[in-house]
Amino acid sequence: MRRQLANPVVQFLAAGFVVLVVVVVGTVQLSRQAADREAIKDARSTTALLGRSVAQPAVPRGLVDGDAGAVDRFDRTALRRLLVGDVKRIKIWNGAGRIVYSDKTRLIGSHYPLGDDELDVLHKGATDAELSDLAKPENRFERALGGDLLEVYTRIWSPEGDPLLFEVYYSAADIAHRRSEVYDEFQPITLGGLLVLVALTTPLLWALTRRLDRSARDRERLLLAAADASESERRRIARDLHDGVVQDLAGTSFALSATARDPGTDARTAERLAPMSRSLRSSLRSLRSLLVEIYPPDLGVDGLAAALEDLVAPAASAGVAARVEVYDVQEASQDSVRLVWRVAQEAVRNALRHADASRLSVQVGTAGGLLTLDVTDDGRGFAARPDSRPDSRRDSLPDTGGIGLRALRDLVKEAGGRLQVRSAPDSGTTVHLEVPL
Amino acid sequence: MRIRPAHLAVALLTSSVLISVAGPAQAKGGDDVVRRGSCTGATHWKLKVKPDDGRLEVEAEVDSNRVGQTWGWRLVHNGSTSASGTATTTAPSGSFEVRRRMVNLAGTDTITLRASNARTGERCVGTVRF
Repeated sequence: MRRQLANPVVQFLAAGFVVLVVVVVGTVQLSRQAADREAIKDARSTTALLGRSVAQPAVPRGLVDGDAGAVDRFDRTALRRLLVGDVKRIKIWNGAGRIVYSDKTRLIGSHYPLGDDELDVLHKGATDAELSDLAKPENRFERALGGDLLEVYTRIWSPEGDPLLFEVYYSAADIAHRRSEVYDEFQPITLGGLLVLVALTTPLLWALTRRLDRSARDRERLLLAAADASESERRRIARDLHDGVVQDLAGTSFALSATARDPGTDARTAERLAPMSRSLRSSLRSLRSLLVEIYPPDLGVDGLAAALEDLVAPAASAGVAARVEVYDVQEASQDSVRLVWRVAQEAVRNALRHADASRLSVQVGTAGGLLTLDVTDDGRGFAARPDSRPDSRRDSLPDTGGIGLRALRDLVKEAGGRLQVRSAPDSGTTVHLEVPL
Repeated sequence: MRIRPAHLAVALLTSSVLISVAGPAQAKGGDDVVRRGSCTGATHWKLKVKPDDGRLEVEAEVDSNRVGQTWGWRLVHNGSTSASGTATTTAPSGSFEVRRRMVNLAGTDTITLRASNARTGERCVGTVRF
């Protein structure tokens, strides 16, 4: 699952899906607002047109005063032309707040105080719109129309010259219908465009990813080949040195020792041969350590302890008391042992070069299915960086020689293990490694 | 022809009696209301009011039994003229009929038919309260 999520194509498709959702939600919201504005604008235009072209010319004298005959005439002549399209209700108010006409005849003659907005339109003209408050008594009959209503009002004039408030009610369902019409127009453009974009770019990205994968694999193969070549070369050099120079030096050392102990050798000669023999043995130890560093003779489980002993051999000449302990590593794999060796090699090298330690301990063991390594010295340690954690102890890699350990940390991580370096000033350093067996 | 004052007084009295005989009918509910009466001459009128979804369907008929007479008519709603016009009596009955829709206002609606024949001077008045 994690591997699939790391795939750039999957990530692109996921991001594309998220963008699609965001765009859909945004488009719906924007189109809803645009449609609402459009619908309200339409309703205002319709109201102004109805008021100016139909209602006002049909208003007879006397309607403003509630004259019954005038109401009848207006009802007969204008109503059919007013209740058109989305119009659900008509009300005409006089300035005193009396409904002088409505298609709902029971409202005619009723009196309700006009609000500020209505009075504003009545006195100043223009057209206004708002959602109907169906809780108001003058709107009680509109509740039966169902759903929300948009009421739009404008000013018209009576033949007597009195201003009248012409109010038209529209169903909010019609607005929703208008909204869906607007949205339907936008939908193919927005969604279709995005889908086409995703459809076009996905194969391109897939091809690009494959190409990158191929390049990465080629590079890895080259690196491995280079590493193998380097290892082979080191192995050859180490073998040549071991089989040639080391054997010759060992033979010479034994010959010198034997000659020095030979009763036939005079005391003066024997005395001169002894330091030569010691110097030769010391050179032999140094050469073996070098060989171990160049290429450990046996990186199997059985040879790990000996290889580590060879690794710490130079400690004695540096005045460092070194100790190697290896326990219960029989089940460890070859790769894990190699990793332990490489980390130990780097850690021991750092300790001998930089720690100024008097004691060095290398411990290898197993715990909970893990192969563990601890390389501990009692040297000067090192301090945390100012931008590091607040406590003086740190769990990072040292500045000196740390590049090698940092590179190893990546190897350890790839092997599913963990590498930690704990240190503090004058408290020594511990390099701790855990890798699966 | 000269009309004597006495005869004129009798005629006016008779017409007022006839009109008063066809006094206003009253109803406010779901039923139709029909009222009939006689005009000042031999003509009869009928006024029918029927409620319909917040409105009143008003039918007015004037029957003179003579074809081709021209009458002026007026429908008055609560004292205000709702509709008016002229009509000619037609065969076979020698009558005319007017239908108009009025608004059913709150309270009692008083609907009155007024018709007059300018040539004969005959007049009809009928009222329904609904």
